[in-house]
Amino acid sequence: MSDTSRRKLLAAGGAGVAAGAVGLTLPSAQAAGAPRTTSSAREAVVAYVHDHRSSEVRLMVGEREVVVHDRDLATRILNAAGGN
Amino acid sequence: MSSHREAPEMAKDPVADSTDVYAFVSPDRPSTVTLIANYIPFQAPDGGPNFYEFGDDVAYDINISNKGKGQADLTYRFRFHTKVRDPKTFLYNTGPITGIHDTTWNRPQFYSVTRIRNGRAKTLASHLPCPPVNVGPRSTPDYPHLADQGVHKIGRRRVFAGQRVDAFHVDLGSVFDLGTLRPFQHLHLIPMADAPGRNSLQAFNVHSIALQVPISEITRAGTVPTNPAKPGAVVGVWASASRRKSRMFDKSEGRYVGHGPWEQVSRLGNPLFNEVITPMAHKDVWNARHPRGDAMFAKYVDHPELARLLPVLYPGVFPHLAAYHKARADLHAILLTGIPSGVVPGFQNYTGTVESDMLRLNVAVPPSSSPDSMGLLGGDAAGFPNGRRIGDDVVAIELRAVAGVTIPLVDPSFTPDGAAGVLTDGTSEVAGGSTGTFPYLGNPNGGFQTEPGTSAVS
Repeated sequence: MSDTSRRKLLAAGGAGVAAGAVGLTLPSAQAAGAPRTTSSAREAVVAYVHDHRSSEVRLMVGEREVVVHDRDLATRILNAAGGN
Repeated sequence: MSSHREAPEMAKDPVADSTDVYAFVSPDRPSTVTLIANYIPFQAPDGGPNFYEFGDDVAYDINISNKGKGQADLTYRFRFHTKVRDPKTFLYNTGPITGIHDTTWNRPQFYSVTRIRNGRAKTLASHLPCPPVNVGPRSTPDYPHLADQGVHKIGRRRVFAGQRVDAFHVDLGSVFDLGTLRPFQHLHLIPMADAPGRNSLQAFNVHSIALQVPISEITRAGTVPTNPAKPGAVVGVWASASRRKSRMFDKSEGRYVGHGPWEQVSRLGNPLFNEVITPMAHKDVWNARHPRGDAMFAKYVDHPELARLLPVLYPGVFPHLAAYHKARADLHAILLTGIPSGVVPGFQNYTGTVESDMLRLNVAVPPSSSPDSMGLLGGDAAGFPNGRRIGDDVVAIELRAVAGVTIPLVDPSFTPDGAAGVLTDGTSEVAGGSTGTFPYLGNPNGGFQTEPGTSAVS
């Protein structure tokens, strides 16, 4: 997974969780460590982890689908979804 | 039915449901081909206050394959957007709509047409207005005028998108009650007295996208073929509809918002393919796939379930069909590859070995001056399965084909059962048929004119 892709997800994931049912907020250090680039998405992004045993994360952005394979990223999403 | 509510998932998504596809050399402009894709089945004309309309969140495609690979070499994409002129009223119209631009029409719909060729998209037109639906004599007092205003020219092309009458006819109530054909039901396993067929689509409307393009725009070589025997004279046609891969409900907007790429959710080539050939468990997958991958469904064409059911449902009526166990090479050609030269004298619509469900139109066959609704079965090479015209009785044609009348074309040792050649559901064209001019389907039935509890609109 490229840094660019990871930052896109973190930016969108943080917003999504904050607006979600549990109101979980990601540690600020993670957000602070991921500065946005000029190619960063400037629109809504949906992240999809189909298989919790997989490292695959699918990102829906605009009319594109970005598929990334990052075990750490998938795990952090799963942990966030689990309320951790 | 041709493809109305033909798959479990699509039955829940009528706005994206492809119901019929037509492709024919335009009888009044034979240098052009007319392609029609209908969506949104079973529209009760009085279905207000929120009348039927195309989906702003759906991409509607008419696809052309001209290289024999069963894939879209050319796609015309239609995207819609709807406007609410006055957010303070609940009304569809605040007065009579006498013109397509009248501000009394509170919910106008517009669309763009994009041509996608070799992966490159080109917008051909945008912000084209649709006509309103046919509300009734007070709201849409001169509907033919409104419909005429909905016909737009894009260079040498013509385009229309809006509500039309559903010209397809079939007796759904009968056919899906254990394969009953009312005119022959005394022969059914559970017999009843014979009766005329009843058109289940009588008085219903659809939403239609009609596109008329020069023949040279869709053929492989960019020419106007005149020799029907030439492979380049045949094009494959199918319609599809796509939705965004992800939909999130936006509570603040009170609606779903799409994200990600477009994913196909509906398609239609040959009428009734997904309806009666594909097993129910695979219909949704079929809708999501492209024609080039249809080899996985070929076994259902080669050994169609309906051909096994007919002798069971009509005991003693189809003994020859019951005894025929070979793969149905006739149906395989008609539905999956096209009919090669040498099978029907003077005709072919073969697109190659790639098994793909498409309407196959040989554009070098001129329009018939006296169309036969039985198409090629009736000796009229300008009709189905050479493309499909509005008046082609595809239910009867396919019933007879499945029952075995086309087997001798590829297996002369087979003699069809006597009943096979007269099969019909007993319905006929009552919606007025083709108007003879673009967009060919007749004006939609009016809401006010509808008589609930009947199949009448006047």
